[in-house]
Amino acid sequence: MILVPCPHCGPRNASEFRYLGEERARPDPVAATPPEWRQYLYRRTNPAGWTTETWHHSSGCRAFLTVERHTVTNEIRSCTVAGAHT
Amino acid sequence: MKARFPQRFSAWGLVRHGLTGDDWPKVWRSPELRRSYDVVIIGAGVHGLATAYYLAARHGITNVAVVDRGYVGGGGSGRNTAILRSNYLTPEGVAFYDRSLQLYRNLSSELNFNVMFSRRGHLTLAHNDSSLRTMRWRAEVNKVAGIDSEVIGPDEIKRLVPMMDTSDRTRYPILGALYHPPGGIIRHDAVVWGYARAADSFGVHIHQNTEVTGIDVDVSGGTTGRVRGVQTARGPISAPVVVNCTAGWASLISAMAGVGLPIITHPLQAAVTEPVKMFLDPVVVSGTLHVYVSQTDRGELVFGASVDPFASYSMRSSLEFLEELAGHVLQLMPSLATMRVLRQWAGLCDMTPDYSPIIGVTPVEGFLVDVGWGTYGFKAGPAAGEAVASLIGTGRVPELVAGFDLARFDDGRLVGEKGAAAVGH
Amino acid sequence: MTGTSFRLEDRPLRNAAPPNPGRRLDPRPGEVIDRSAPLSFTWNGRPAQGFEGDTIVSALAASGVRVFSRSLKYHRPRGLLTASFHDPGCLVQVDDEPNVRGAHRRVEAGMRVSAQNAWPSLRFDVKAANQLVGRFLGPGFYYKTFIAPERLWPAYESVLKRFAAGGRASAEPSHDSYDKRYAHVDVLVAGGGPAGMAAAVAAAAVGASVMLVEEEYELGGHLRWGGKRELDLLAEQRAAVDASPGIEVLTNSVVTARYDDNWMAVLQRSVFPGVRERLVKARATTVVVAAGLIERPYVFAGNDLPGVMLSTAARRLVNLWAVKPGTRAVVFSANAEGDAAAADLEDAGVEITRLVDARRGENIVRALAARHGAARRTGLSAVELGDGSIVECDLLVTAIGWTAPTSLLNMAGDRPVYDPTAARFRPGDGLPDSVFVTGGLLGDGTVDELVAHGSDVGRAAAARSDARSVRQDRSDRAAGADDDAGPARPAPLPVVPHPALFRSTTHGIVDYSEDVSSKDLIGAAHEGYESVELLKRFTTVTMGSAQGKLETVNAVAVLAEATGRTIGETGTTVWRPPYAPMSLGALAGRQFEPVRRSPMQGWHEAHGARPLVAGAWIRPDHYGDPEAEVRNVRTNVGIIDVTPLGKLDLRGPDVPLLLNLLYVNKWSKLAEGAVRYGVMCGDDGVVFDDGVTGHLGPDHYVMSTTSSGAEAVLNLVEHVLATDHPEWRIHVTPVVGDYASINVAGPDSRALLGRLAPELDLSPGAFAYMQVRSATIAGVTGCFTWRIGFTGELSYELHVPADRGLHVWEALLDTGRDLGCAPFGVEAQRIMRLEKGHLIVGQDSDGLTSAYAAGLDWLVKPDKTDFLGKPELAWVAERGGPTAQLVGLQPVDGTLVPPEGCQLVEGTTIVGRITSSRMSPTLGRSIGLGYVDRRLASAGTVVSVRLPDGTETPVTVMADLAHFDPEGRRLRA
Repeated sequence: MILVPCPHCGPRNASEFRYLGEERARPDPVAATPPEWRQYLYRRTNPAGWTTETWHHSSGCRAFLTVERHTVTNEIRSCTVAGAHT
Repeated sequence: MKARFPQRFSAWGLVRHGLTGDDWPKVWRSPELRRSYDVVIIGAGVHGLATAYYLAARHGITNVAVVDRGYVGGGGSGRNTAILRSNYLTPEGVAFYDRSLQLYRNLSSELNFNVMFSRRGHLTLAHNDSSLRTMRWRAEVNKVAGIDSEVIGPDEIKRLVPMMDTSDRTRYPILGALYHPPGGIIRHDAVVWGYARAADSFGVHIHQNTEVTGIDVDVSGGTTGRVRGVQTARGPISAPVVVNCTAGWASLISAMAGVGLPIITHPLQAAVTEPVKMFLDPVVVSGTLHVYVSQTDRGELVFGASVDPFASYSMRSSLEFLEELAGHVLQLMPSLATMRVLRQWAGLCDMTPDYSPIIGVTPVEGFLVDVGWGTYGFKAGPAAGEAVASLIGTGRVPELVAGFDLARFDDGRLVGEKGAAAVGH
Repeated sequence: MTGTSFRLEDRPLRNAAPPNPGRRLDPRPGEVIDRSAPLSFTWNGRPAQGFEGDTIVSALAASGVRVFSRSLKYHRPRGLLTASFHDPGCLVQVDDEPNVRGAHRRVEAGMRVSAQNAWPSLRFDVKAANQLVGRFLGPGFYYKTFIAPERLWPAYESVLKRFAAGGRASAEPSHDSYDKRYAHVDVLVAGGGPAGMAAAVAAAAVGASVMLVEEEYELGGHLRWGGKRELDLLAEQRAAVDASPGIEVLTNSVVTARYDDNWMAVLQRSVFPGVRERLVKARATTVVVAAGLIERPYVFAGNDLPGVMLSTAARRLVNLWAVKPGTRAVVFSANAEGDAAAADLEDAGVEITRLVDARRGENIVRALAARHGAARRTGLSAVELGDGSIVECDLLVTAIGWTAPTSLLNMAGDRPVYDPTAARFRPGDGLPDSVFVTGGLLGDGTVDELVAHGSDVGRAAAARSDARSVRQDRSDRAAGADDDAGPARPAPLPVVPHPALFRSTTHGIVDYSEDVSSKDLIGAAHEGYESVELLKRFTTVTMGSAQGKLETVNAVAVLAEATGRTIGETGTTVWRPPYAPMSLGALAGRQFEPVRRSPMQGWHEAHGARPLVAGAWIRPDHYGDPEAEVRNVRTNVGIIDVTPLGKLDLRGPDVPLLLNLLYVNKWSKLAEGAVRYGVMCGDDGVVFDDGVTGHLGPDHYVMSTTSSGAEAVLNLVEHVLATDHPEWRIHVTPVVGDYASINVAGPDSRALLGRLAPELDLSPGAFAYMQVRSATIAGVTGCFTWRIGFTGELSYELHVPADRGLHVWEALLDTGRDLGCAPFGVEAQRIMRLEKGHLIVGQDSDGLTSAYAAGLDWLVKPDKTDFLGKPELAWVAERGGPTAQLVGLQPVDGTLVPPEGCQLVEGTTIVGRITSSRMSPTLGRSIGLGYVDRRLASAGTVVSVRLPDGTETPVTVMADLAHFDPEGRRLRA
C-alpha cells in the first residue's frame, strides 16, 4: 500500500484517503459551451506518468491535498494542501 | 467464409497425434512485418483478434495486421475472471451482451477450438431492499428482451449454493438474488488463441512484441485529419484504417492520434485459491460486498472485486484487496476460511463515466476505437469484434452499438448502465 | 477395481505403531523430534504414530509410507520430493482443512490426515492412465476436442471437473479463529538462515527494531541439517539472536508478500491454540531478503517415482527427523550439497551403490519402477545411468542445482537475470534502496562468508532505515525523495561456477503438481506457444501448489531448448504474490463489520421491531403491522426514529453563499427561524441529494441530508470550502451522532408536543409549516425542532441531544398514550411519503436523472448566477425538457401492486418503469411513482405495465405526484 505524505499528518496509508482524480478547473458556468462543459465533466488526460490530482485525507485531518503522483510507479513527489496558494 | 486450418482439431486428431507423437502445426505463424496493410489493429487481446477474425471471415478483408507490444492475450484478456452474462440494466446493454453470449455459445465450433464455455448460472445477490429493487428492474428489462433472468429468494439461493449463509443473522443478510441461468465462465486464454488461430488461417498477420510508438495523422485535408498508419518499434506501417483495441492503455494510444477520451485507467485485481473438489456451481456476485467468485473446472476459486480506488497504470497487487475480498467471501460462505489464496494479479481497466464502452468513429477519419471496456470487456469481445468489423467492412455503424459512440459525451447522451455495471461482473 | 490397480488405503501400515524402527534412525545431533513425546494420529482412517516435532510426512515416512498422493492428470503415485513446505506430492487433507502441506505441518495428536488425490473410485488401471491414455492427454488436449457436437460438451465437462485437484472445502465454519496485527519495524528480515540471523543481529546491535521471520519451525536454515561445524554455528547464532532484545522472532511464519512502500504481509501460523493463522501487516522501513535457495529437481524419465528425491530432502529426513529415506541409494551430484547428502546417507546406514558425479560429465537417464512386490509400480527399483548401466536402488537422490526464490524482490520491482556461471536466475539491479538482499539468494560463499555478508547488510539496512526515519521527521516528507541515501549497499556475494543441468536425455516431469512433462512443453513450444507466459498458460506449468518455485527454471530451460534460444533470452515468468498461500481466514481476520444504531434502537428491538439494514444503519422496518401504523399516523399521532438522517451544522456569515451554490433553489433570503427544502445536483445536472436546511440563529444553520448521502454531502461541502472558496467564512461540523431525531407526525402531534414543550408556542401562527425553533423538550435543553411533512401530516421533527434521545422517545409515548401515540417504522413512512408523492433520491431517481426529469421544475432557479449543475439543467430546458418524466401512477386494477422495477411497455419497447409502488391503506388502492417517456407523461394516459409473470396490466398516469392531499392541507394544519 502506498504512503501518502500528508503535510499535516506525515506519511499515511493510502487507505486513509479518498481519491478525487485529476485536478481540473471548472469552466465559467455562464460562458461555457456544451462541449467545453462536458470536456470538464468527462474528458481526462489519463497520462502514464506524472499527474497532478486531488486527494482527501478523509480518515485523517480531512484536508484536501494536491498530489503529484506518477501513475506507473505510484511514486508521489509532492503533496501540498489544495487551495492553500489562493 | 470458413477458416482454412492446416489441421483441424478433433478427438480423432488427438488420437492420431497421440499415436504418432508428431507435433501439431503452429497455432499461428510468425509472419514478416509488411510495410502496409488495409487495417492495423492495435492490441492482440480478445477485442483486437475478434475484430481481425470477423473482418476476414465475414467481410473478406484479410490484409490485416494485429500488433501488440507483448504476447497474444497478455493484457486484460489474460487477466480477467472470464465471467459471461447478458443480464444488464439498459435495453441497449442487454441486446449487445446477449449478442456476445450467442457468439460465445457457438464459438468452439466456429473457431474449431474448444473455448470451454461452462454454463453455470449467474447469481447477483441483493443484501438490502434497494439492491433487490435494482435486481427486479434488471430482471424485468431482461425479460422484455427475452433474456432468462429472474429474482429468486434465499431458499432457492441456498439450493443453488449450499455453502451460502442465507440466514438473517448476518451483517449483510441475503434477501434475494438476480438469477441468470445462461451465465457462466469460459477459458479466456482459449478464446484469444482460438480467434488468433482462426484469424491467422485467413492470412491475418499477428505481430507480437511490436509496440506502437506513434500514429500518423494527415491534417492537411481538414482540421482533425485522416489516419495514415502507425509507427512501431519494428518500423512504420501504413494503413488507411487503424483500430484502437488497447483497453487500459486506450487513452495513450488515442492521444497519439490526437483524440481525447473520457477514460480513466484503474487497476482491477483478481486472485485464485488452491483447488478443492467442486462445490460451487454458479457464479456468485455481490455488488454490496464488492466481490465475485466462481469455481473453475480445475477446482480453484477465482475472485474479483471492484476496481482499485485510484487511477494507475501500475499492475502491482495490493494486500487490502485480498483482505477485503476474504472478509466479504467469508460473510457469504463462512466455512471457506481454510481455503488459501495461491496467486493474485492485476489488470488495467479503461473506465468510462457511464460504465459503457466507446465503439466507432473518432474525429480522426480512419481511426476507430473499441475502448472503454472497464471491467466488462472480456464478455463483450465477440460482439464488439463483430461490430467493429462490420463498421470497417460496410462503412456503417451497426445498430447494436449505435448508442456507444464517442460523441455521446459531447452531446450529454450517457448510457444508463451506471446502476448495474459498477460492480456487476 | 482391477487387480493391478493401487489404492493408497492398501499401503502397508501394519508396522505403523510403534514407528518402524527400521526407518527411524538412532538419535541424530540436530534432530527436531522429541522422542519422549509420541503422538497418535490417523492416516486414511488407520492409526499412525509420530513424535512431537515430526511433520505429518516425516512421521508417516518413518512408518514406511512412501506414497502420499496421486498426481493430477495421470494419477501417478507421488512420494517425498523436497521434504519441505513446497513438496508437491505431500498435500493432504487434515480434518476440515484441505491442501495442508504435509511435509511442513507438524503432526498433532488426534489429527485425521488423509490423502487427497487418491481416487479409490478410479476404475481404470494406473498403467492404462499413464501409458495408454496419457499420450493423448497432452497439454491443452481439451482445447482440441469435445468441440462438436456442442451439446455434448457439458457432459465432457462434468468428467473434466471430476479431475479437479485438491482436498475438500469444509461445509461447516471452523471453530478456530484468525487474527491480524500491525507492526512497524525498522528492519524486516525475511529468512532465518545464517545470513538472515546475522543481518538481524547486526541491525539490532546498532539500535534498529528488527522482525526476523522464518518459514520453518526453528531458526537456522540449512545449518540445521549440517554437520558439527554448522550445528555449532547455529547454536552460536541462535544465542546471539536470543541476546538481542531488539529482535522479534517469528517462526513457522513467512514474509509472503511485499507491496508498495514496504507494506509487508507476514503470515504467522499456529499463533496460539485456537488461532490458526495471523496476518501481520508490517510497515518496514527497510527489508532484508534472505530467502536462501530452493533446490531444483532434475528432469528425466521416472523423476516423479516415489524414492526419487532431492539432496536437501534426504539430508532433512536424516538429520532433522532421523528418518532413513531408503536402504540402497544412487546419488547424482553436481555440487557439495549432493556430496554431503551421500555422506549423511552413508552415516545413516544407507548403502550408496553409486555416486554419479555430474561434474565429471556423468549422468542419469531414467528411474525405473519396481515390477514386483509391494512397491510394484509405485516406487523406484533401479536407475539407468548415462553409461547404460542399470543400478538397483530404492532411493535416488539428485543434487543438480538451485533456484533463487526472488519472489519478494520481484514484488519490489526487480527482475531476475539469468547467470550462466551459476546456472540460475539471480537478483537484478532493480531494487529500491529500501530493500536489501543477502545470503544464498544473492550469491555463493562459505557459511562464514554468508554470515559476514548478512552482518554487513544488516548494518546497512539499519543505517538506511535510520536515514529514512530522520528524513520523515523533517519537513521533507515526500516519499520517493530518496536522495540522502544511507551507506552504500554492501558488495554482492560472488558466484561459483555450477554445471548447467536441467534435463537429461529422456523426458520427465517438470511440474509435479500439474503433471506437465518436458515433452509436453516442447510440443507446446513447437505448436507456437513460444513465449514463457504463453507456455505457462497453455500447459499450466508452474500454476500448481508450488507456483513455480520448483518448476519455473526447468520449464524455461526446456523452452529454451525447444526454441533454440538461450535461457537468458527466453526469460522467466513474473513471480506474483503471495510467496506462500494465505488462508481466507487470515486475510479476513476477525470480522469487523460495524453497524450504526440510534440511541433508541434497543427500545425498538425490545418492542418487536423488525430490523432493517439500511446502509450503515440498522433501523426499525415496522413493529408488526405497517398499514396500521399508517392509519394511526393519519388519524392520531405516531413517532418515528429518523436519527440516521444526515445533519451538518453550518456557521458563519457566508452560509447562504454555500447553500446557493449547492442547492438548485434560492437561499439568500431564508429568514431566521425558517426551513426550506432543497435539492442538490452534480455538475452534470443529475440529482445527488435532498433535504431541508433550517436557519436556526444568527449565522447558524443546520442542513439535513439523506442518510445514505450524509458522507458524500459532507465531503462536497468541505471540498467547496477548502478548494473553491477558501474565502468563505463558514465552519461545517457533521452532527449526525450528536442528535437523536424523532419525527412526531399526525393530527394530534401538536397536542402531544405541547405537553412536552410547554414553553414553545406551537400555534400555527407562531410556529408555521417550514419553520424551526430551539426548544426544551421533556426537560431536555438544547433541542431544536422543525415543522416539515414528509408523511404529509402535521409533523414536528425533534432533534435532541443523542444521550437524551431515549428519554424523549419514551416521554412522547407515555405522554401521548391517551392520544394513541404509537411508534411507526420505515415501511409506514415509505407508504405515507408515496401517498404524498415525495421522491426518494436513489429510488425514484438514478445515476442519470436530471432535476427536471425528477419533477423538480418548481424548485430549479436557472436565473441564479451559479449552482452545481446549472449549465446542464439550462440545456435540458433548452431542449424542451427531459426525455422521460417522473409521474404518479395508479393501476387501473387498484388491488394490484406491480412490483418496483417493473417496466412500462408498448409491445416489446420499454417506455418507462415503476420506481415506487405500494398498497395505500389511506386510499384503499395501489399507487406508484415511475418514469414514462415524455409523450406519455400527460395526465390520464394509460400505459401497460409488464408484471414479473409476463402478463400486462394498465396503469394510469396521474396529474400529480401526490396521490393524497395534493394541496397539502393536512401538513399546513
